[in-house]
Amino acid sequence: MEIVQVLAFGLLLGGVYALLASGVTLIFGVLDVVNVAQGAFLVFSALFTWQIWDAFGVEPLLLIPVMGFLMGVLGWGIYRGMVMRVAPQGPGMTVLLMFGVALTLEGILNLIFGNKFKSVTPPYFTESFTIGQLVIPLPQLISGVLGFLILGGIYAYLRLSWAGRALRASAQNKDGAALVGISSVKSASFAFAIGAATAGVGGVLLSIMYPIYPATQYDWIARLLGIVVLGGFGSIPGAVIGSLILGMTEAFANTYLPQWSSLFFYGTILLILLFRPHGLMGAKTREDVA
Amino acid sequence: MSDVVLTMTDVEAGYGGGLVLQGLSLELERGTITCIVGPNGAGKSTVLRVISGLLKPNTGSVVLGGQPIGGLPPAAILKAGVAQVPQNRALFDGMSVHENVLMGGYLIRRQRSLLHERLEMVGDLIPIVRERAHDKAGNLSGGQRRMVEIGRALMLDPSVILMDEPSLGLDPKSVAKVAELIREVASTGRTVLLVEQNVRLGMNLATHGVVMEQGTVRLSGEAAGIADNPEIATMYLGKAGG
Repeated sequence: MEIVQVLAFGLLLGGVYALLASGVTLIFGVLDVVNVAQGAFLVFSALFTWQIWDAFGVEPLLLIPVMGFLMGVLGWGIYRGMVMRVAPQGPGMTVLLMFGVALTLEGILNLIFGNKFKSVTPPYFTESFTIGQLVIPLPQLISGVLGFLILGGIYAYLRLSWAGRALRASAQNKDGAALVGISSVKSASFAFAIGAATAGVGGVLLSIMYPIYPATQYDWIARLLGIVVLGGFGSIPGAVIGSLILGMTEAFANTYLPQWSSLFFYGTILLILLFRPHGLMGAKTREDVA
Repeated sequence: MSDVVLTMTDVEAGYGGGLVLQGLSLELERGTITCIVGPNGAGKSTVLRVISGLLKPNTGSVVLGGQPIGGLPPAAILKAGVAQVPQNRALFDGMSVHENVLMGGYLIRRQRSLLHERLEMVGDLIPIVRERAHDKAGNLSGGQRRMVEIGRALMLDPSVILMDEPSLGLDPKSVAKVAELIREVASTGRTVLLVEQNVRLGMNLATHGVVMEQGTVRLSGEAAGIADNPEIATMYLGKAGG
């Protein structure tokens, strides 16, 4: 029974990771920008969720659309104000820029929240969902299920809406997109906004799962980049598969060899990349965003 | 009344500091197929880039149906009625053939009935768009890709279609099919301007020809006349000079 429990944990963790990593891979697919500030966006959202919950007692899950929207607007502004100007200098410069954005956000968060762990603990924080012998903490269950549902919504939006099709077209062939009248600036801004919005939503989910403080952005961006590299940069299906593999790996390691958890997480990435250097779906379908 | 659809007058354009087009003037008549030929570096593809708005002319004018379009953004020129089928792979490989053609109507996406009407029109004209509707564009052969690219360009019902090397990389059978489709497109009143390295094919296909050299038009007229010009025949068609 323990193995089923571990599998369930891994699946749910994978759902949260998939949502978080999809934002990084979407931004890369459309803009060729590695958004190393995604971890900082995530922590920014989680800490503001904590602040609102702590000050007003608002149910954190109700903040999902709010934080998603606010981070989307912030992402749009960062793209229009900074990334768009620096992008012509090449991908190296945009990585440096986003690293600067991450450090600035971390500095702001340190000033506001201090370098202390914050935990959002709604009434269901210590409750569990039980089926037979399977016991799953409610925060993990809620976050994992919502992670899958929101990612499914984003996926459907990318596939079925004109805006989503325009994003996919831009990701697959920028010249082809321009030929049918798709504005590269609008597509890029929209992709950056959606990518940042996933961090906004993900931050709320993380806030009920883990204690957060500003410097945890490094841990999160390392994980997200690991997932995206494993799945293949630019591929959302790749990010989902990578997330599930690493979610399972982490769940198994946490259960049987907790002190080796990080080693297993990054060791799995290394091992797979030895055999698939372009990631699981990178070589053939890197452009197949969504 | 003149049947001229597009006019370029004294156009100068280039990249960086250098001028590629040096005072080029050109007229395209409705329903014609005009083929531009010339040596490498003559500025053939640059003509297409200037008309489609991918390159702004330094001086001179580009007029479409009485409206100046020179220097407008590509989307505005597309909306005005100029579509382009480029030389390089321009389809969205991860999308289906249907989605690729649908994306050709991106600018009329809110006019659903018109969009549907255009999809039907393209499907009638290019059967492969229906036959392979659900296949990924990345799985199509070179000739099939070119047909879908032309279908996508037709979604906005353009008055002028620009084609850069439509026969490039295609086998003879596919070249014949693409040529037939281009003739069919022109027969509906649309004007086609193409750049073609395969001069023999281009001149056979075209109604009019333009010979470019060093960024200007050296010779223009009916394709048959151009092909019969002894100097041109020697230089581009491999015939013995007269």
